[in-house]
Amino acid sequence: MPRTPAALRGHSAHFVKTALICSTLLAGAAASFVQAKVEDINWRQFEGSSIVWAYDIHPYADAVAAQLPEFEKLTGIKVTPELYPDDAYWNKLTIQLSTKSASWDVVGTGIQPAWDLAPGQLLEPLDRYLNNPKLTSASYDYKDFFPALRDALTWQVDGEQIEAGRGQVWAIPHGFENIQLFYRKDILDKHGIKVPTTPPEMSAACEKLKSADPAITPLGVRGVRFWSSIHTAAISIAKSYGVHDFVVKDGKLETGLDSPESVAFHHDYVEMIKKCAAPSFVNDNWYQVVDGINSGRTAMAIDSNMFGFWNDVAGKPASGKIAFAPPLRAPNGKNFESNIWIWSLAMNAASQKKGAAWLFIQWATSKQVELKGAVAGKLVNSPRASTWSDKVWLDYATKPEFTNFVDTFKIVQDRAALAFTPRAGFAEAMNAWAVAMQKMVNGADVKATLTDLASEIRSSM
Amino acid sequence: MDLQGIDAIVTLQSSVDQLASSKNEQVQKAEQNALDWWSLAAIAPAIIILLGFLFLFFYGVVQSLTDLKLSRPVVRFIGFTNYEVAIKTQDFWNSVRATMAYACSAVLAEAFFGLAIAKLFASGVFLARLMRPVILLPLVLPPMSVALMWTTMMDPQIGILNYLLSLVGIGRFAWISDASTAMFSLVLIDIWTYTPFFALIIFAGLQGINDEVREAARVNGARGWATFLHIELPLIAPYILIAAVFRLIESLNQFDIIFGTTQGGPGDSTSVLSVRAYITAFQNLAFGRGAALMVVNWMIVLLGTFAMVRLWRLVRQRVS
Repeated sequence: MPRTPAALRGHSAHFVKTALICSTLLAGAAASFVQAKVEDINWRQFEGSSIVWAYDIHPYADAVAAQLPEFEKLTGIKVTPELYPDDAYWNKLTIQLSTKSASWDVVGTGIQPAWDLAPGQLLEPLDRYLNNPKLTSASYDYKDFFPALRDALTWQVDGEQIEAGRGQVWAIPHGFENIQLFYRKDILDKHGIKVPTTPPEMSAACEKLKSADPAITPLGVRGVRFWSSIHTAAISIAKSYGVHDFVVKDGKLETGLDSPESVAFHHDYVEMIKKCAAPSFVNDNWYQVVDGINSGRTAMAIDSNMFGFWNDVAGKPASGKIAFAPPLRAPNGKNFESNIWIWSLAMNAASQKKGAAWLFIQWATSKQVELKGAVAGKLVNSPRASTWSDKVWLDYATKPEFTNFVDTFKIVQDRAALAFTPRAGFAEAMNAWAVAMQKMVNGADVKATLTDLASEIRSSM
Repeated sequence: MDLQGIDAIVTLQSSVDQLASSKNEQVQKAEQNALDWWSLAAIAPAIIILLGFLFLFFYGVVQSLTDLKLSRPVVRFIGFTNYEVAIKTQDFWNSVRATMAYACSAVLAEAFFGLAIAKLFASGVFLARLMRPVILLPLVLPPMSVALMWTTMMDPQIGILNYLLSLVGIGRFAWISDASTAMFSLVLIDIWTYTPFFALIIFAGLQGINDEVREAARVNGARGWATFLHIELPLIAPYILIAAVFRLIESLNQFDIIFGTTQGGPGDSTSVLSVRAYITAFQNLAFGRGAALMVVNWMIVLLGTFAMVRLWRLVRQRVS
């Protein structure tokens, strides 16, 4: 009996319905299988724990904090973020760890502070967690982190000192920065100023800007008497002059800060600061640098590249107005140099909840959290290669409001490298350099100040 | 009357009395020597707390004799090396100078302004009555908040102080951003914060002066200024000095205001001993050297306090 169209329709409808149910079930089963394969560790093994994660007040922290409910839902672990302003955070970190306090479980750090913390056994080496299949998911893919960043966070403690390049993993990167010159296109265009490439060119541009608009601060740079003001503009430009913080002389480590190259660099740099920086230079940290460029009170800045990016995000007052360029180089130098800073998550050796702490570190540095944070416009410089090959991120970062961010990143990243010599005692030497810089900017003789600085560093070695 | 017998009785009686009194003395001595456990129990918490404080202090002294450093797993006893190294550096003497300059100028200025305000309060004018509760405000603010507030106000570009100066035609002042003006600016913050302390104590002293004394001076022809200079000032001098003792101790130890504004900079211009000790210990991670600087700071505070207390006693003796 031929089927009537209605019956056919009814049969077809039944078929479609059955097919839909079956495909849904199959898809669910497949998803469960994939999920089971991805979730090859028990994320709920430390359910009910509560940990404290300490960090700088920073958009990188905001990116992770925004996703915390997902972690808590996945693991049943409660995470309490404790965020502090930059200077206060580093001081508090030292106090918390050196007193072996267990109140912080996971801490944010950079490589340089970690050099000082590791020999005192204040940080937990992470290899045994990374290599434990019960604690680390196969999908975590540690090798997805850029090799240079992995290597930088791997070293061996040898007595009081560290040997870089081999040994144990001390922290996991979750965001890095390279140092760039970023500038307000609108301001430079208005006054017909070309983007400077050397400190003398910058000094000339600043004079021109100041005479055109005395209310504008031509250049935002950190100047606080703390190592954080050295690791951005100063060390990057100094390296292009051939300055090294430490050199090996007769098989021994020796400071290179009183070398002729260092004297030449400081002459140019101090001159540039005097002509370009804000009168509050000695009190300026990155918060002031960012605020200046965002509000348009500052025309240019030399600092971490993401400070420009954050203010280019749609909806911000400076969106689409900030462009990027490589950092300044020596007038007779062929290339610019750019220091890198790696924001990383490390574990307090005194933590009583190391398993839960590791699950948090692993989750916070996972591919999905990195990508989501990047696309939210916060975790800008992801340390994972997978983020940088992801179309979603690249489409986002190449939007017109971000001007030439991606292109400049690629150019700078080719030459970006850690500009400091790996050694314990980093903070003491670099703090002394920051103080010496303030003295020179306040008028002290460059050569004499550098001689004093070198002898101070030698006496502490 | 058998006087001989009486003599004998008196002699015997006196011997008995002597024996009894010597027995009483022995009992009294024994009672005095016996431990008063109840009293001891009552003061035990205070003794324990005192010992705790002393332990922490001596622990710091012991640390100053070691090479304790964060990167050093083994700590070695190095005697007075930390002190020897410190006193050989120009930075150390610069810090001693900065500590003394800060404390002395702040205390002197606060005493002067405190006295002026106390006199105003004592006059009982309407404005003074209005200001009495308000003047306490700086004292109740946390010093770190005071530091942050003044840092913002003293910003050479966007700070309100330079804006106010510009209204009266005064050009941009560097405040805490220049080595030549930073110490002055810090002393100004200290004066703003702690002058009320002086004012309150001196005001209490002025209230304690009997009106008859002032009246007697007036009858003898002393005018306002002479009464103040020759009658009131000598009488309130012990009050000024006791306030100065407290403030000197605090100013020589001042940390919050200085660290919260300049962190010891620009350069080393405001790097007082307490700030240098903190930076050496907690930023440079050299705890042994930091502890040595703290001990030196403590010795300066101790000497300064002894000198002030001695002066206070002298003045009090002369007044009484």
